[in-house]
Amino acid sequence: MEKKRIDDYEPGPVPSPRPLDRFGFVKQELNNSPDGLSKGRPASEYEREERRVRKWRKMIGVGGSDWKHYVRRKPHVVKRRIRKGIPDCLRGLVWQLISGSRDLLLMNPGVYEQLVIYETSASELDIIRDISRTFPSHVFFQQRHGPGQRSLYNVLKAYSVFDRDVGYVQGMGFLAGLLLLYMSEEDAFWLLVALLKGAVHAPMEGLYLVGLPLVQQYLFQFDHLMREHLPKLGEHFSQEMINPSMYASQWFITVFSYSFPFHLALRIWDVFLNEGVKIVFKVGLALLKYCVDDLVSKRLEELKQEYEEKNEKPVQSAEFKEKQKL
Amino acid sequence: MAYKVDQEYDYLFKIVLIGDSGVGKSNILSRFTRNEFCLESKSTIGVEFATRTLQVEGKTVKAQIWDTAGQERYRAITSAYYRGAVGALLVYDITKRQTFDNVQRWLRELRDHADSNIVIMLAGNKADLNHLRSLPAEDAQILAEKEGLSFLETSALEAFNIEKAFQAILLDIYHIISRKALAAQEGASSNGLPHGTTINVSNLSAIRNKATCCTAN
Repeated sequence: MEKKRIDDYEPGPVPSPRPLDRFGFVKQELNNSPDGLSKGRPASEYEREERRVRKWRKMIGVGGSDWKHYVRRKPHVVKRRIRKGIPDCLRGLVWQLISGSRDLLLMNPGVYEQLVIYETSASELDIIRDISRTFPSHVFFQQRHGPGQRSLYNVLKAYSVFDRDVGYVQGMGFLAGLLLLYMSEEDAFWLLVALLKGAVHAPMEGLYLVGLPLVQQYLFQFDHLMREHLPKLGEHFSQEMINPSMYASQWFITVFSYSFPFHLALRIWDVFLNEGVKIVFKVGLALLKYCVDDLVSKRLEELKQEYEEKNEKPVQSAEFKEKQKL
Repeated sequence: MAYKVDQEYDYLFKIVLIGDSGVGKSNILSRFTRNEFCLESKSTIGVEFATRTLQVEGKTVKAQIWDTAGQERYRAITSAYYRGAVGALLVYDITKRQTFDNVQRWLRELRDHADSNIVIMLAGNKADLNHLRSLPAEDAQILAEKEGLSFLETSALEAFNIEKAFQAILLDIYHIISRKALAAQEGASSNGLPHGTTINVSNLSAIRNKATCCTAN
């Protein structure tokens, strides 16, 4: 940062006190951009990106007008393109189209405003307590009572009123926070509704209801899948008395938005919104498979360390995709 | 020394960190295990754990500490972690009376799910925010005496009493375990052996083995 302050005396926007990555997160020292995401991307990559955006725009139409038609005609193309990654500039819009939240928004005019302004929620204090603890290293959510924190509060409060059985549960903030980086408050709220109530795929509300029934179910299923696909690892985990609740609850509760490298979390969300929760299972299994040789040779404490490193230091995308083909 | 060569510690103690959301459990853990404090920490989802090895009365003790999400709804998954725990640090926030009022509920949780001999330390965290204090230390002291808990005020931010709190828990656990071992030993042989390094291995192996000590049931 120091080096870049050549034009110190020139008036202009106040420089951000800490360098940010291209998604707006404060850069970790030493953790230099994983696969060249923030700087030094070759021109050819930009051109390819441009071409992709053009293709996507054609597919979506103005404001999403052609989307449904296109999906009906060429579902396989849509699926393939989403798996390749939705262009970042169109992500927010496409997420709303594939999750069914756009329809919910149109069917319920004024409802969000009503929930935010006129209703009170029993969870207000719980929500406030977690606001500054949700994506604390993202520039949008850092300012106390700033626009980011206010929107996050509004969306979570509105949801806790909209669905009083769920109310507010820790973890939901990461879903809402992720969405708010790509869309307005009201859009984020309806996408949250679409997910929890199951507009397109299986409803997620069971992840947050009393007793966390769906978390328990998914962990049980994940355990069995892991044993089926990676029997050696399953045996080792049994010996070390490691069960999926120790490492995978966050994966399901926040759909990898809690502590996964952000650029990969976005790719997971692209596919998750289009194909449903099975992608969480697949990515989880792929992660374990990716490091299975390391894992089977380690004891619990070492494994924990390994896990944290894997979560923070990203896997190379290409290599990861390869492993994903379980 | 009686422990096996390949094992880098004599005892493994599993300890749980519990208490309301936002009282500073995760920072207590990171202060104790990595000497770090993070002002921008995220709320804990599910469970986390970390370990640190230290000396207790000349023995190498590995503390395996489980940090749990504080929100009530998470107890559905976190209470499973009380099983096999030999110590608990029950944390409240001295600036938020509600977190202290809930201590009783946490004690009930422990009684329902943890071993009855579990060593419990009550910790009034955020002692650095004395100007925002909403609860005198005496109130906590009274409760601790009534419930038979140890008590300390701590500050993860200032690294105040964190070390001491864990040391005290580990020492208590160690004493209980050596007393148990001794009692078992005395029960086994009617002629009172001199106390010291001679230890009945068959009795102690249950405690010394890392697998059976803390995680198995």
